[in-house]
Amino acid sequence: MSKTADSSATGNYRVNHLARGRTLRGLGLATCLALLLGLPLLVNEYQQFVVNTMVIYALIAVGFNVVLGYLGQLAFANAAFFGVGAYATGLTMVHLALPLPLALLAAGAAGTVAGIAVALPALRVQGHYLAIFTLAFGELMRWVYVHADAVTFGPSGFNVPRPAALGLLGSPERGKYYLFLAVAIIAIGATVRLLRSRFGRAFVAVRNNERAAASLGVSVARAKIIAFGWSGFLVGVAGGLYALLNGRVTPDSFGLAQLLLNFAIVMIGGLGSVLGSILGAILLTGAPELLRNFAGIEEIVFSLLLIGVLFFMPKGIGGLIAARIPALREPLHRE
Amino acid sequence: MLAQLAISGIVVGSVYALVALGMTILFRATSIVNFGHGEFFMLGAFAIYVLKQGFGWSYPVAIAIAFGLLFLVGVLVERVLIRPLGSAPFLSFAMMTVAFSFLFKGLTRFFYGRDVSMLPPLLNGEPLDFGSVVLFPQDFLVIAGAGATMTIFFLFFEYTQVGKIVQAASQAPRGAALVGINVPAFHSAMWGVAALTGAVAALLIAPSTLVYPDMGGQMLVHAFAAMTLGGFGSLGGAVLGGLSLGIIENLMGGYVSSSLVEISAYLVIMLVLLVRPQGVFGEWRTSRV
Repeated sequence: MSKTADSSATGNYRVNHLARGRTLRGLGLATCLALLLGLPLLVNEYQQFVVNTMVIYALIAVGFNVVLGYLGQLAFANAAFFGVGAYATGLTMVHLALPLPLALLAAGAAGTVAGIAVALPALRVQGHYLAIFTLAFGELMRWVYVHADAVTFGPSGFNVPRPAALGLLGSPERGKYYLFLAVAIIAIGATVRLLRSRFGRAFVAVRNNERAAASLGVSVARAKIIAFGWSGFLVGVAGGLYALLNGRVTPDSFGLAQLLLNFAIVMIGGLGSVLGSILGAILLTGAPELLRNFAGIEEIVFSLLLIGVLFFMPKGIGGLIAARIPALREPLHRE
Repeated sequence: MLAQLAISGIVVGSVYALVALGMTILFRATSIVNFGHGEFFMLGAFAIYVLKQGFGWSYPVAIAIAFGLLFLVGVLVERVLIRPLGSAPFLSFAMMTVAFSFLFKGLTRFFYGRDVSMLPPLLNGEPLDFGSVVLFPQDFLVIAGAGATMTIFFLFFEYTQVGKIVQAASQAPRGAALVGINVPAFHSAMWGVAALTGAVAALLIAPSTLVYPDMGGQMLVHAFAAMTLGGFGSLGGAVLGGLSLGIIENLMGGYVSSSLVEISAYLVIMLVLLVRPQGVFGEWRTSRV
């Protein structure tokens, strides 16, 4: 008798607890949004530029995490998706004079195509084979940027036209900020939805044990194609924003140094944690601005950070948050 | 022209083969794919460069000390960075090798990044003319050096007691530990040997190229291409793959377009993994649900 009473009491408590957690989370999100919207009033033009960079890297990190943290595949093609997106936006604006929204969609489409192109070998090979394939793919794309100079303007890159609409809010950096923020919130929100759906659960099933997932009726091939395609889409769009941010696209931006930065952000943020990725991007994006005066320092600092995370904090910031603040725990965080 | 291209291909190919062999030995012994292997090659080149040009020592002394240093670097990497990870998942080991590769690259760039560094050739002399083929003395040295190193490895693994123990330790670590073999010590030693092969490759090829912090990345991709072509994890495959890659590269450059030389390795990797992932000379273990 007491047993049923107990369990229903616990049930009620849990329902209340969950509801309260949800309200708290809603309040938290609303506060964050208000702060983000008001932020441009507090910063100068240069600080705004750094914040804009952070927004882009948050999007990159979440996109990379879909493949690395949720699907659990070691792929080195992230810098390639990023570059493809930047070139797609820049080149469609230069050659075809596409308006900004369409040029950004082109970046997303190009990124998706690149993502699916990488997913196809991922259906056959895994682990280090996939890592090597994607490494080669990234370097091949850089070769294309340099050598297809009739279209891509070769090794020195090209200037991206500045859309007039971005200057409407007083300063171009501020205009970019609201655009980037809107894109990032929509894209990351959609990613959270995707990860909570049965597709996200399929990604994690593939990560944990591919054969077990297949034997339970999860279509491994579909999960991989969707994850890589979506990752390519997010990172491609981020590349498009990056082209706008700098007003210039060069092949050098999408090499191994870029890849290291992306890796460091995702690993420090925590595999399989969207919140961690965002925080990792905020933490690490400011650093290159401070470090760029010394040759090699950036590589040294990021690699030491990466080593430190691997030794002392293998779950990253996301793991710390999950352990301390239950309300922010993400269900699919990597164990 | 064909003969000249093929011979030049074998010269560079034997260096690829050597680096790929170093990676394969490490992979077989520890089942770790070392994404930092290119930096062993780069560090080897810089060690020789600094000792020879910076300190002004003679080649034999500089080479001996550089080889010793690189062996030490390999052992240290294993002891300080790899072993503490314990039984971490594959991804952590891969990330660790990526991390130390950038660490070495950054350190080298910090200290020597602004110089363009060159090593004098080991052998001077007139190029030798064999009718349709012209070869430099350095070319013979590369082939002979790489060939000798590879032969030593094969003899070591096949015919010596220690070589057998290394094979045992890599094939069945637990079983080897049970019969009293110190497996961790062998893993350390294999990291040292892998780094050492990088230094040998650097000694052979660096006098014909420049010495710069980013030279390792290119070599890593070439070694991966050689391993992929020959079948990942096969010692003979790594050698055959390296030689074939060198020849393919030169033929592509000579007959199609010189800009294709840079990407032959990438194309080889992608094609092989898409069409025949087990490698041209390899076998595949299938597993089905």
